[in-house]
Amino acid sequence: MTGRRVTVTSPQTRLAHARRRYRGRWRPTTLDPAEAPKAVALYRVQLRGAALALGLLLTLIFGLPLLLALWPQLVDVRVFGIPLAWLAPVLVPFPAMVALGFWHLRRAERAEDE
Amino acid sequence: MIVAFAVAPVVLVTLLIGLRGVAAMRTTSDFLVASRRVSPLLNSAAVSGEYLSAASFLGVAGLVVKDGVGSLWYPVGFTAGYIAMLALVAAPMRRSGALTVPDFAEARLASPSLRRLAAVVVLVIGALYLVPQFRTAGLVLSVVSGTPYWVGVAISGAAVSATLALGGMRAATYVQAFQFVFKLLLFIVPAIWLLVQAGPGVRDEAVHPVEFTHFDHDTEIVFRVGATLDVPDGALVVEPDGGTRPVPPGEWQVPAGSTVVFEDGSPVPELRGEAAPGAPGWERPLLDLHDEGYPLLGTWAVLIATMLGTMGLPHVIMRFHTSPDGRAARRTAALTVALLSVFYLFPGIYGVLGRVLVPHLYLSGATDSAVVALPAQVDDGSAGTLFTGLLTAGAFAAFLATSLGLLLVVSGAISHDLVPGGLRQLRVAVVGAAVTVVLLALPAARFDAGTLVTWGFTVAASTFCPLLVLGIWWRRLTAPGAIAGVAVGLVATAGAFLLTVSGPPVDGWLAILLVQPAPWSVPLAFATMIVVSLFGRPPPWSTAAMLRLHLHEHRPSPFADRSAVARDLGHSSWTARRSSAVRRITRRLVR
Repeated sequence: MTGRRVTVTSPQTRLAHARRRYRGRWRPTTLDPAEAPKAVALYRVQLRGAALALGLLLTLIFGLPLLLALWPQLVDVRVFGIPLAWLAPVLVPFPAMVALGFWHLRRAERAEDE
Repeated sequence: MIVAFAVAPVVLVTLLIGLRGVAAMRTTSDFLVASRRVSPLLNSAAVSGEYLSAASFLGVAGLVVKDGVGSLWYPVGFTAGYIAMLALVAAPMRRSGALTVPDFAEARLASPSLRRLAAVVVLVIGALYLVPQFRTAGLVLSVVSGTPYWVGVAISGAAVSATLALGGMRAATYVQAFQFVFKLLLFIVPAIWLLVQAGPGVRDEAVHPVEFTHFDHDTEIVFRVGATLDVPDGALVVEPDGGTRPVPPGEWQVPAGSTVVFEDGSPVPELRGEAAPGAPGWERPLLDLHDEGYPLLGTWAVLIATMLGTMGLPHVIMRFHTSPDGRAARRTAALTVALLSVFYLFPGIYGVLGRVLVPHLYLSGATDSAVVALPAQVDDGSAGTLFTGLLTAGAFAAFLATSLGLLLVVSGAISHDLVPGGLRQLRVAVVGAAVTVVLLALPAARFDAGTLVTWGFTVAASTFCPLLVLGIWWRRLTAPGAIAGVAVGLVATAGAFLLTVSGPPVDGWLAILLVQPAPWSVPLAFATMIVVSLFGRPPPWSTAAMLRLHLHEHRPSPFADRSAVARDLGHSSWTARRSSAVRRITRRLVR
């Protein structure tokens, strides 16, 4: 009896062979399914928090130049002899960014602690 | 003399602290990320120390002298980048467990070609950032002590590569943290001394800017690179024999390496294509790039490039990997914002004083050295020399700290990502990279340090920033999408730079978008990544890989209580962790 030779394998094995294998150092990341809901909740909270912090940051550092462009006469307003418009890019953004940074840090850590 | 008193101690202390870090270093991880045992405060000092480069220590004040008060927006962008980092990148990036950015790219997307492309981008950013550091080191040394340009370049190259090759990241951490404190002191104390010593007259002039039109004393200008001046009627130069000679009005090509002494009261020639310090518009707190008349666009473009670029700078990201966990990395970012904010309150003081006392530096394109040139103008005795020495030492600390981190990341890219090897190869790569950069920096004296560094930021903003943000927050990112986006960002920014340097002259807002391509190249890179990814299909594990980055490390093990309640202890938990099970659960949750 002659004829074609056919592979006889269980469908499970065929599936396993068809699946791409990862060689070398890399392995797919494992996530414990018991932790998945927690991870999803954290992802959503942190995404919302990050979007809020970034929105505030962008409003601050893009809004301030806009204000200075709209009111060029701020150069003539002086505080202790220094033009107010010169103080604005130094004394406004830096304290505000420090405050924003620590505020976001606290919210992000609290979200993880819950 | 100044070299001996200012630079030698910095180099010596750098080497000594570097030697301290040699102890117990055996693996690549020890070398590259200091075994991940660095506390947030030490790490943030090291991040700030690494980040405050020559561009911050000297460059910002120099830009204020040259371009006006609007240059104060650069530090705002530099600092804002850490808020973006804190919110988007720091903790998830650290949790990925990768050693370098290319490592992260491979861990998240499993693509060796993306890893190699990312390593190439690291090399590009590293070169754009390292060459100006070494170049400014050479320039500053030649300004304060008259040594030839190559001496400073060679000294910094030797010191940096020796420290690194011996001590790796652990040494770099201590060195950079020490140098942050050192730089902060050496920047703040001379600033206050200068303000007090300058006297009420100079202080009053500083806040009432007038255009620099006449020399108010005999002024010697050393042209290290050639310049084209437009000479007005009546300009007088002092001859070496003491006599004066009028300069014919019109164009004057000053050759490189010449020294010109303008007489007291002579009108100031104009530098082709640059407005004089104090000219109308100088006092406006917005950045009018190339004087094109679009100050708001220029300011925003620079803010976008510096803010998003900071998020993608490979040497800064590498520092975050030295934190023990994601939470510490986040704290490091928040503390870094505070430390940098203290430092950046002061460059403006040097800038406005420099406009009054050393405006002539703009003629020879040497405003970068305004900070170290100031003390001699205020006090010509020993106090002036002392403060010149202190500021030079601080500037040198700035070059060393930044170069340490960059060289580490460049050699990491070569010998960890492009040609994987062990610790010995990594050390060889450090020395090799240092030699290459020194050779590149030797003919680079004529390039503006600020321009090159800002280009480095722009490349980082258009390549790594989209890769990291989408890799961490978007589960549908695919490897082909990431490769396309990074490649498009790299090509777009490189093309814009080439057009700026050699292309046809353009003006208006188009010129600004060529000089500073970030406002269009960053959205372009993001869009490419998203569109190409949407055409492909993310691998089945991609949601799990993304979610894993957002799960913090120190949490009660879910297996302990679950097994106690519902399962018999002997049963394997692996069936529940099979990728198909994870996929099923995450699919239900993320929609």
